[in-house]
Amino acid sequence: MVSNRFVLKRLLLLIPVLFGVATVVFAILHLSPGDPALTIAGERASQEFVNEVRSNLGLDDPLWQQYVRFLGDVATLDLGQSYQVNRGTPVSTILADRLPITIELALLGELAGLLFGLPLGILSAVKQDTWADHLTRVGALSGISVPIYWSGPLLILLFAQFLGLLPTSGRIGSEFFIEPVTGFILVDTLLAGNMAAFQSAVVHLLLPVVVLGIYQMALLSRMMRSSMVEVIRQDYMRTARAKGQGSKITVMKHGLRNAFIPVITVIGIQFGSLLGGAVLTETVFEINGIGTLLVDAINRSDYPVVQGTVLVFAVLYTLVNLVVDITYSVFDPRIEQ
Amino acid sequence: MVPDTTATSRRNFLKRAGGATVATASITSLAGCGGGGDETETAAEDDTGDDTETEAEGGEDGGGDTTRLRYGRGAHSATLDPQNTTSGEVAKVTNQAYEGLISFQVGEAALTESLATDWSLEGDSVTLTLREGVTFHDGSDFTADDFVATYRRFVDDEYEYHFEDASAYGPFTLGNWIDSVEATSDYELSITLNQTYAPFLRNLAMFVSVVISRDAIEGDTDLDQEMVGTGPFELETLDDANNRIQLTTYDDYWGESPNIDEVLFLTRGQNSTRAQALVEEELDIIDGLDPDSMQIIEGSDTAENRTATGINIGYMAFNLSRVEAFRDRRVRRAISYAIDTQAIVENIYSGIATEADQPIPPALFGHNDDISPYEYDPEQAQSLLDEAGYGDGFSFTLTTFQNPRGYNPAPLPTAQTIRSNLSDVGIEVSIDDRQFSDYLTYTSQGRHDATLAGWYTDNADPDNFCYVLLHPQTEVPDGQDWVSWDTEGFNTSNNAAWANSEFMTRVEDAQTTTDQEERAQLYSEAAQIAHDEAPWVFIDYADEVRGVSNRVSNYTVAAIGGPYLGAVDVE
Repeated sequence: MVSNRFVLKRLLLLIPVLFGVATVVFAILHLSPGDPALTIAGERASQEFVNEVRSNLGLDDPLWQQYVRFLGDVATLDLGQSYQVNRGTPVSTILADRLPITIELALLGELAGLLFGLPLGILSAVKQDTWADHLTRVGALSGISVPIYWSGPLLILLFAQFLGLLPTSGRIGSEFFIEPVTGFILVDTLLAGNMAAFQSAVVHLLLPVVVLGIYQMALLSRMMRSSMVEVIRQDYMRTARAKGQGSKITVMKHGLRNAFIPVITVIGIQFGSLLGGAVLTETVFEINGIGTLLVDAINRSDYPVVQGTVLVFAVLYTLVNLVVDITYSVFDPRIEQ
Repeated sequence: MVPDTTATSRRNFLKRAGGATVATASITSLAGCGGGGDETETAAEDDTGDDTETEAEGGEDGGGDTTRLRYGRGAHSATLDPQNTTSGEVAKVTNQAYEGLISFQVGEAALTESLATDWSLEGDSVTLTLREGVTFHDGSDFTADDFVATYRRFVDDEYEYHFEDASAYGPFTLGNWIDSVEATSDYELSITLNQTYAPFLRNLAMFVSVVISRDAIEGDTDLDQEMVGTGPFELETLDDANNRIQLTTYDDYWGESPNIDEVLFLTRGQNSTRAQALVEEELDIIDGLDPDSMQIIEGSDTAENRTATGINIGYMAFNLSRVEAFRDRRVRRAISYAIDTQAIVENIYSGIATEADQPIPPALFGHNDDISPYEYDPEQAQSLLDEAGYGDGFSFTLTTFQNPRGYNPAPLPTAQTIRSNLSDVGIEVSIDDRQFSDYLTYTSQGRHDATLAGWYTDNADPDNFCYVLLHPQTEVPDGQDWVSWDTEGFNTSNNAAWANSEFMTRVEDAQTTTDQEERAQLYSEAAQIAHDEAPWVFIDYADEVRGVSNRVSNYTVAAIGGPYLGAVDVE
């Protein structure tokens, strides 16, 4: 099983990773054009006013001082205050509001991918070279090839505009006001006991989740298939069947467990890219998670928010991969960390 | 998980129901705080009844008989504090909950009473009589002290409750002009200016000059998240997670009660999505439309486009400080003749704008009706260039922003047309397009040869165009009609660095003249000078466009102030 030492080591590894990420983000932001002070002050501001804003934000200090200050703040878990959102709102507060929205979306996308991708992959492997297999493989290839910024608008066009079955954007009907408890809209509507609101949230999330899920599904079914095809050919599978065990049980009991290991790696890595995909999905469906937050912050030269968001992405990505590593040993106890 | 700043929104949460969609952020919004003049008829008569059941996806617990207006826009409010922003997007919401001493007439540039019932401006002294019997949303009575506290919070850094993050509008609107503000009685205000400044009353009508409750200012109210004004609507819910704001009717409003119970400000970043939502009756009024999204609405039988003349201008400024050729007026005029602005307005802006010919938009007094746009005349242009010694042409870089702005719905195609027009007369233009915040930085440092630019009015006064955009506000060397960009105190909004003494004298005189006719005459002359001297290529005055559902009546498209939602009816 996983040792505490392993987990601790991995967590400690976060420090150099975050240091690297923080440095790169800082450098990119400060090297790119655009002046946050002028963006805040606006077109009506006099030069003195802009200078005052700049000095209040410490943006007129030498770059190395700003960098040291920023690293010091990050080390004490202080992500600073937004330049734009209510000017002065702590970035941690903004992220705490927005993060659940993105995580909910990513989790649902992952779930959709697993729910459809795995069975299709298994089916494809078991029924190798039949029409079901070909169909699944073609579907999977298309799923991987279609970018979100194309499939998203296309689905909106079809289901929202032509058929009028689903809403175009957002994550709940405009007249439902649900008190945020967890930040997950599906959970919060249920906690509020408002079934109509829950229904509205489900309907709203359907398209974004499908769009996110398509890619997941496609990738997972491909991975599952190739992994399974390999396992099916193993000697122990043949032995199991030779002993008279039904083929379904053989596949599910012996095959699946072993075929799963590489798939889990992909799930882990993919969860990270799901968060990245959320930037596109959120923009297309106008959902207010950290994806849109990041895009807005970049456009408004809101340095603290950009830095905070990217750091949080890095932490999440690392943590998810840690969880994946831990999961290996659950599926295959021989793997010790 | 969701800490303190959302506390207010949580406290305010009403569990309501109904139907429709909502959305999020983006950057499409049009900056500034509204534009020009006219009104569109209150289309009370368009009852295109249709079966208007919106509730595509909603439920119904609690919606009841609530009359709800859903206003769709391109971006969510970054704050609810009118003193913390220069954004017109914020003003749309704060204008519902707050009121100024003076306001603009609905759909007009003229002034009308609001929290003040009477006022006078004599020399440098302004006196105002305030309305009695008005209460704030927190229940406190409105008196002159509230304005004094509001003013001091905005600009007086000796005031204990001074707002450190006050926007640039603080000095721009009030601080630069006011010496002192005094409450001479509960309902009398006396303001002393540091000079006679004729546009001042208009500054009092701007969205940043609205009166905030003194109790709220001096108490522990978080004005970024709450609004404590006297307006017809009060804040019910601020839902940043879903980019929406819910306002309800304020029961003790001093004026006529709104016809609707509730206003929802919803955000749809993409213009086409917003237009589609209007057509599908998920929204009732939308703004920030471009020609493509207008087409979506035009083809529908559930909504229509309405326009009003905007109070704005789009132009190309020559940087006289940087490019020597531009210091010759013949060259500037030649370029004005060489650019086919009519084609730009008609073909690229699809007719939602009119050709410009002077810095003062047509909806304002002082606009000179005798001026007409420079005709497209490449031959005339060529002969002027020959005369100026630039017959063989020269080259310059044209800086532009990338994303559409209200006064320039298509910056890149505009720049490309200019490039192609000018290449016909031997001038080589290279286009330098930048993201807006970068563009602002770059041009404010005077690094552009020429730049596309534009302006939305703040206070519907010609001074807001002439003094702000074309006056250097600094010393000008004798006999020179431009200033160097690095001159101490130079007004960088004057992105042409133009400094014509004839023009400047008239604009300065108009600031200190209180007689309206005399002012109009001075501006009219100033406009003629600007037209003839051509420090800019005048491109367009853009219309204000709104998409309005057929279920909505009594809505007036206003280019300044508003949106005025109090009188609106929704079926």
